[in-house]
Order: sequence, then C-alpha cells, then structure tokens
Amino acid sequence: MTSRETLALAVVAAPALTALAAAAVPARAVGRVAAGGALVAAAAAGALATVSLARPGRALVEHWLVVDPAAGLLTGVIGAIGLASALVSPAYLRTASTGLVRAKHRDRVYYVLLFAFWAVLAAVPLVGNLGGAWLLVEATTAASALLVGFNGRPRALEAGWKYLILTSLGLGVALLGIVLLAAGSAHGGLDVLSWHDLGRIRPGREQTLVAYLLLLAGLAAKIGWAPVHNWLPDAHSEAPAPVSALLSAALLPAVLLVAWRSSRALAPAVGESTARSVLVGFGLLSLAVAVPFLWRPLPWKRLLAYSSLEHMGVIALGIGFGTPLALAGVAVHIAGHAAAKALGFYAAVPLLAHEPRAAGHAVGGVARSEPMLGTAMGVSLGALAGLPPSPLFASEVLIVAGGFAAGRPWAAGASALLLALGFLGLAQALIETLAGKTGRRERSPALGLRGVAVLAPVTAAALLALAAAALWLPGSSIARALAEGIR
Amino acid sequence: MSGALVWVVVALGLGVVVLRRRSLAVGLVTVQALLLAVRGGVHADGGAAAALAVRAVALAAVLLLVVSRTREPRPVRAGIAPLARGGLAVAFALALTWLVPSLALDSRNAERGVLALAAFGIMTVATRRATLFQVLGIVLVENGLALAALQLPGGGSSVTIEFGVALDLTLIALVAVVFHERIFAEFGSGDSAALRSLRD
Repeated sequence: MTSRETLALAVVAAPALTALAAAAVPARAVGRVAAGGALVAAAAAGALATVSLARPGRALVEHWLVVDPAAGLLTGVIGAIGLASALVSPAYLRTASTGLVRAKHRDRVYYVLLFAFWAVLAAVPLVGNLGGAWLLVEATTAASALLVGFNGRPRALEAGWKYLILTSLGLGVALLGIVLLAAGSAHGGLDVLSWHDLGRIRPGREQTLVAYLLLLAGLAAKIGWAPVHNWLPDAHSEAPAPVSALLSAALLPAVLLVAWRSSRALAPAVGESTARSVLVGFGLLSLAVAVPFLWRPLPWKRLLAYSSLEHMGVIALGIGFGTPLALAGVAVHIAGHAAAKALGFYAAVPLLAHEPRAAGHAVGGVARSEPMLGTAMGVSLGALAGLPPSPLFASEVLIVAGGFAAGRPWAAGASALLLALGFLGLAQALIETLAGKTGRRERSPALGLRGVAVLAPVTAAALLALAAAALWLPGSSIARALAEGIR
Repeated sequence: MSGALVWVVVALGLGVVVLRRRSLAVGLVTVQALLLAVRGGVHADGGAAAALAVRAVALAAVLLLVVSRTREPRPVRAGIAPLARGGLAVAFALALTWLVPSLALDSRNAERGVLALAAFGIMTVATRRATLFQVLGIVLVENGLALAALQLPGGGSSVTIEFGVALDLTLIALVAVVFHERIFAEFGSGDSAALRSLRD
C-alpha cells in the first residue's frame, strides 16, 4: 500500500472509528473522544491534502480510488471544517434541546451522526468510480438528514423531511442516468463506471446525452443548484449550526466535484461545448435565483443559505468555463467559501443565545451590542460578499476572466452583473447586521462566543493567505493539473 | 424479460399511485421488487437478485411495522382524487416515453417499464400528502432502476453496486421512518401538509 493509499484510508477510517468509539464509551467521555478523533481525522486530511497539492502532477488513479489535486483540496476542506465543527459542537449542545432522541442520549447520538456523516463525506472526493460516488452521496443524505432535524421542533422536522425526500428523489434520477451510461458502455454492466473508463464511452449517441442530463439534474438536487434547490435554505437554516457549516462548506462542493468529474469524463462523448453549457446554465440560473433573496432582510442562517446557492452557482460557472484561469478561481473559491461560510454558521451559536429572535428575523446592530460577535459576523459576511481583500473577490474575478478566455462573453458578462448585484445585497445586509438599528429588546449573554472569538482571527488570516494564493495560483502546476483532470 | 412481467410490475406501480391504504401500497412495492428479484435469479444474476430480495423484505418489514405503530384515525387525503392521480401519472409516463430516446436496454418493453415506474414514483411524491406514500414514491423509482439494471446489455448489474443501492435505500427508509414517527407524534398524523411553515 502506498503512502497516498494509507493516508486516504486514514482520512475515512479516523472519523468512522471515532463514530464507533463515541457510540461505545461512557457518556462522560463522549466529548473528549469526539475532540480527539476530530484532531486525528483533520491531521490525516491535512496530510493527504498537502501531499496531493505539493505534487499535483503525480495523481493516484485507480478503479476505486483517486488522489489528485481536486481530491486533495476537498479533503483538506472537509478535514478543516469537520475539526472546527466538532470543536464548536459543545457550545451548540450546551444551548440546544432535542426532541428527536431522549435527553440522556443526546450528545452521544449527535456525535455518532456527526462523525458518521464526516466519514462518508470524506470518502466522496476520493472515490474513483461514479457508481461508488453515487452510493456515498446517497449515504451522506441518510447520515445528515437526522442531524438537520436534530432539535425535533416542527420547523426542523419539515426541513429534514424536505431534504431527505427531495435529495433522495434527485439521486434516484441521477442513478437512472448512471444505469443508462452503463447500458451505453462498450462492455455493459456497472463495473465500467470508473472516472477513467467513463471517458471511453462511444461519442455521438443521444442516449449518452440523456444520461448526462439526468445525472447532472439529479446531482443538482443534492448540490442545491436552482431550480432544484428548495430544500437548501430550509435545511441550512434549521440544522444545528456546526452541521450547517459542514453541509454548506463541505458537502455541497464535494458533490459538486462528482458533477465536475462526470462532466470532464463525459465531455468527449456528449461534446465539450454541450457538457460545459449545462454547467454554465445551472450556474447562471443559481445566481439569478439567489440574488433577489440576498437583497431581502432574512434571518442570519437563512441569508447564509441563500449565499450558498449563489456560491455554488459561481463554482458551477467556473467549472463550466473550464479554462485554467477559471479553475484556479474555482480552487480559491471552494476554500474561501468554506472558511467564510463556516465562520458565519459558527457565529450563529452565540448569536441565537444573544438574540433568540435571530432564528426567525433579520437582526441589526450586533457590532454595538456584542462587538466580538459582530467582528466574526463581519469577517464572514464581508468575505462572502466578495469585499476586497476577500479571496472570493479574487476568485470571482478569475472565474469571470476565465469565462471571457473560454469564448463565452455573454455568460461571463451576465455572471459579472449578477455577482455585482449579489455583492450590493450582501453589503447592505452587512451594514444592517453590524451597525443597523438594535431596537430596545433585552439581550442575553452570547453563550459560546469564546470559540468563535478564537476562530474569527484564524479564519481572517486564512482568508488573507488564500487571497495571496489567488495571485500565484493561475499558471501554477496545480491549476494545470485541475484543468487536465483525470487522465 | 417477458413483456407480461414488465407490465405486471408497471401495473403494481400504478396501484401505489391510486391506492389509499398504506399497507396495501407497501405490499405492492414489495411484490414488485420480489418479482424483479426472481427474474434476476432465474437469469443467473444471483448476487444482484439476492440483494434486491433482501432489500424488499427488509423494507416491507420496517414499513409495515411503522404502519402498525402509527395508525391514522382516517386515511390522509391527497390533494388530487385517485382517478385524476392515476391519469396524471399515466400521462407523465407516456410523455417521458415520448421524450426520452431509446435507453439501449435489452428490451424496449423494459425501457418503457423503467420510465413508467420513474414517472409513477415522482408523481407519488408530488401528489400524495401522506409521508409514508412519499417514501414509497422513492422506492418505486428505485424499483424502476432495479428493472433497468437487470436489463443492462452484456452482463447485467454489478453485485457490489446492487448491494450498495439496497443498503443505501434501506438506510434512507429507516431515516424516513424516524422522521415519520416524529411527525406523527408532533402533529397526530403523517400528513406532510402540516410541514409548510418554512417560506420566504
């Protein structure tokens, strides 16, 4: 077994074993086991990300396993967000109630589900086979739906139910596409679905195009691309904040990577231009649907959820344009969005303790009533808006420029306009949330603020480092490897 | 696969769209999956057929247990009458058959059956308010996919994938059951119409 294979195994095994340990140890030790397991899992993910990004030209491609720069990037993101979510979880659990399980089992069930979700999620970028990827993506639904409905209140049950039914139905449609791909392959059967072998499907068959469209339409339901995004705002706003962070910052881009790999593999069969146009279409539609919501006064977590719709649209545009410039932007965007979005969701824990009304309404003047919390929310929302020096500003510029370089000036121009409108909406929300009217309500102490206060400067430093990396990344060997994909 | 068997499977699917009783609908999707499993076993697709049969029996056991634990005072009424639902489902299936080109499966009948089951499943989720029927809609789509997998040219479906799909679907159904029971406890009925508070 090579070092990359060993690390890949550790990336998945560490959270899986932590889930088992959390189920078995005495109740008083569950929190410590979770923290320790999260550190080990994140260390393994960090090591694999470093190895695969340090030598981007030496990808490991096997029938069931792929370790390439894209997998390394996503593995690193999942590891970092998983660790942060596990560390923020005790603060969430101190303030939360749940009706889904008995109170005495609450922490244990929460951590078992969280780490099971993490383990399955960590395997998604590493799997070398479309059939395997589908199985893992479907399994993330099972693990995460219970977490979405964890507090057991009617709104959470509604969000969890919608998430479960709509994404399962969507993935059923995607599976139909996969079965059709298998039917159209030279040898038949489902064993020919490795990313490498998918590229050998005969070109020019209309069945392959139908299969590709079904596959992407089904995956879109899980990624949260418009027009099949209905579950996304509900699930992200009702899930426990650490879970919302994992859903938005890690799950969506991980499934998006499956769509990206599928598109790259099937482009020779369905036509390069057609394969990319579908992604550009989903991207533009997602941006167009998200922007009006970014202009409305929404509850904090719901605003972040619609921002996820916007950013998944931006990433779809980047992979649809497909030039090295745009793909360098995609890499920065995935990492920057993850850092900023996760901080925003973590800030929801002290925010909801400080001002419970924030669960259902837009709030204002947080920077005046609780400056540290306001700072964390400001870092998050400023970065998500694309306010310079946010790395998301740089990545969006790279993606739009990559669109022009790809010979798609109309799509690039439309995306630039929609991004500008989205920026204005989020900038207004930023000003209102931090410095708007506070009202005369009594406010409670912001429980759980300490963790967010530590994470805010760490995230700000990471975002600045990413902004610097965005200047170097275009033309680098990582961008070239991302553009080449799996050979 | 014989045309008669395909159309029996499709007819069972249409029954799920129009029936009111949950236990009968669970029975129909179970018989459907078992018929497909028997057909797979007869044609030497032993592993995949076994996975399908185990999944069918496990789902039936879980879903029937849930039906018995969450007795509705009266059946949850769908927003659309049974005949209209059936008509819509058949129209959707015909539209799909017309729109989607040949799927390159071993038989054209099987292709039509796959599209019909997918249409019936989507229509069940869209038109039935009872939460358990929405789960059955997903099972219908998956049964359609099992039919497609058994009709793949050149060797049929993969045992690994078939077992994986069976495991995933069982997990999804178990999670759905947890939600269904919680919704029943919260609202006194497994009626998804009660879940309409989240709007922008």
